[in-house]
Amino acid sequence: MTMLSERQQLSYIAAQAADARLNVELETEGMTLNIGPQHPATHGTLRIIARLDGEQVVWAEPSAGYMHRGYEKLTEVRTYPQVTALINRIDWLGSFANEVPFILAAEQLMEVEAPPRAQHIRTILFELSRIANVSLFLGDLGVQMGAVTPVFMAFRDREYVLNLIEGATGGRFHPNFDRIGGLKDDLPKGWIDETRQVMKKLRNFCDEIEDLLFGNEIFQSRTRGIGVIPAEVAKEYGLSGANLRASGVDWDLRRDQKLPLAYDKVDFKVWTHPDGDSWARCWIRLQEVREATRIVDQLIETIPSGPVMAKVPRIIKVPEGEAWVSTENPLGEMGYYVVSKGELGPFRVKIRSASFNNISITPWVLKGVYVPDIITILASLYFILGDIDR
Amino acid sequence: MGLVDRGRLPAPLTKLFNLGRSYSMWVYQWGLACCAIEMGAAFGSPRYDVMRLGVIPLPASPRQADLVVVSGTVTDKMAPAVKRLYEQMPEPKYVISMGSCANCGGPYWDSYSVTKGVDQIIPVDVYVPGCPPRPEALLEGVVLLQQRIKNEDMAARWRGEGFTPLQRSESEPIVVGGGPIE
Amino acid sequence: MVVPLSDDLRPSIVDRLRADLGDDLVEVHLIPDVDLWVRVNAAAWRQAGTSLRAAGFDYFCFLSAIDWMPSPYGRGEDDPSAEPAEEDPSASEIRQGYAGGETRFQLLARVTDIRRHVSVTLKADLLEDADGRMSVPSWIPVHAGANWHERETHEMFGINFEGHPDLRNMYLPGDFEGHPLRKDFPLLARMVKPWPGIVDVEPMPVSADGGDES
Repeated sequence: MTMLSERQQLSYIAAQAADARLNVELETEGMTLNIGPQHPATHGTLRIIARLDGEQVVWAEPSAGYMHRGYEKLTEVRTYPQVTALINRIDWLGSFANEVPFILAAEQLMEVEAPPRAQHIRTILFELSRIANVSLFLGDLGVQMGAVTPVFMAFRDREYVLNLIEGATGGRFHPNFDRIGGLKDDLPKGWIDETRQVMKKLRNFCDEIEDLLFGNEIFQSRTRGIGVIPAEVAKEYGLSGANLRASGVDWDLRRDQKLPLAYDKVDFKVWTHPDGDSWARCWIRLQEVREATRIVDQLIETIPSGPVMAKVPRIIKVPEGEAWVSTENPLGEMGYYVVSKGELGPFRVKIRSASFNNISITPWVLKGVYVPDIITILASLYFILGDIDR
Repeated sequence: MGLVDRGRLPAPLTKLFNLGRSYSMWVYQWGLACCAIEMGAAFGSPRYDVMRLGVIPLPASPRQADLVVVSGTVTDKMAPAVKRLYEQMPEPKYVISMGSCANCGGPYWDSYSVTKGVDQIIPVDVYVPGCPPRPEALLEGVVLLQQRIKNEDMAARWRGEGFTPLQRSESEPIVVGGGPIE
Repeated sequence: MVVPLSDDLRPSIVDRLRADLGDDLVEVHLIPDVDLWVRVNAAAWRQAGTSLRAAGFDYFCFLSAIDWMPSPYGRGEDDPSAEPAEEDPSASEIRQGYAGGETRFQLLARVTDIRRHVSVTLKADLLEDADGRMSVPSWIPVHAGANWHERETHEMFGINFEGHPDLRNMYLPGDFEGHPLRKDFPLLARMVKPWPGIVDVEPMPVSADGGDES
């Protein structure tokens, strides 16, 4: 703790010193730069207020709340199945992944477990939503640095994944497919063959992006060594997902906790990177898309037979109790703290979304960087506004 | 354009202008929430390709735009910014409201922080329902708006009377895939 | 990576906390192999965080609060024009969850030990003073990431965090009145018109010959 505050103080003092020196030498005045609330570089409606000294950021503060929809209050006046429909829209790029931890928490309270086939299909759809989510990140990454081509490629290949999700669930974006005790439906005929084809396309997409972006000199010079987050700081701010693993912390909830999902039946690698800079965060995400296609490939070969729905009452009442379940969502650790009083709906749901913690580090990490780096650091931290504001 | 300024324009000339205007719309993407991604898919992806409809999704500022697509949840904190953006656009200007949230509040109809419909702040020409609407639905919304522009009395617009149709038979307001909202 | 199979780990955490906090550790709720809830005195809130951090819980998960009072507005699904139903006295009774409690508001925080794969949910009772204000030491010196979470909790519940540098509103406009996550904050949209989810009251469609359409 002491070490951290020292480190923070040091970076702050350095920024202040640069500020003072420049002011003395050039007699410059600081200026305040406002980015947003609607700016192409902020993935939505995040507003960033930065105090600049020349090209250097002295102090920066994100101002969230432009997308606050009051989720935690709304869950208190909805029934459990209605909450599932609502929480799809928290992280709108990985919708299916949002449903899973909530449903698992409710199942844990009801002491119901989904049949193995449902768990398996859940895991497949979970990874597909990760691919749909992170592939758009990879495309968008280029746009932030002035390369427009990758985003077209991302939209092209993402459509295949969305078609798969739509084929299985009926919804491109917000499937609302999970039920307490299983899934709404089984997979359609021919879906598995198509998935196999699409996973090949996605691996090609990853190779293309790697050639196009990650090998690019400009990309490297704008991300290598920029926005370094050490492991201790990352843990203290509760960073999760690829942001945490890019700081060298080997922590993945898919592997490190026991949940009724099929992750223990597949072989996959959790990638980490020691650097903790923007480049590491982007690179980890690229590897994760590849890893996700491998997971899906393994899972579709071994889907067990059986029903997709356990026996649950028609009107769902969850017994009194509290449960916390979190999963490794595309953006990081997403968890629901569900408090039930034995009624039709939850008494209180605390939604721990990944982006909220991931973005709360920005005042720390933006201190002392140059203005163009604000954009690349924010892009590499990868947040979704709905996931911050909820 | 002296004729236009005086508010008198022969009908054939109006039709000619309308034809030109409807196929050269610069659209500003006001992406707010989930719908922004579907709007991105409609406007920026090779599969849906909005440019074949004569819509150019490129202006970097509302001051260069003819059309704004409000896609996503408008919160009370965001509403002043939306209004200011609309006021910055030059006349004639059109608004497509995309998605249930922008239309009426959508799944957040009872929230304490969400504006129940962007039409409370700015006038809307075309509503695209859905949560989120598919990109095809947004493209249909663009086509409906083009039909609306083709039927517009341009001189009335210049006189500041807002939208006045040449032939009054349209179902108002325009909603993709349906008739008027009850 | 060592994943504990039998749960010796969580009791040992409780023992360690009890050694550090003494009487300030009020109550423990343990579900073996699932989770651990610990309730501490609000005065020892920061000390509990420091102690857990020293014990290896250096990953900050979240910080929030709970209002245990049942909502006076129910679920907002009733027709507001209908007669009010009979008052059920047990419906307005405050019942706390795991690890008990005495007050209406409770703080809630969760920290994780990444090496041992175990987490602790901390709770603390919050006493309201005569003006209805609540106050608790800030966790920023323990986990810098608590900053935004405390801002959020302040905005949503009106809990004051001593030593927090900046308790500005995070989500809502500055002139917003009330604390939305308190149970007595009404959702006005639900108050003014009947809940649209009641579908059964609509008459079934009837075809021209008077029979059912099906």
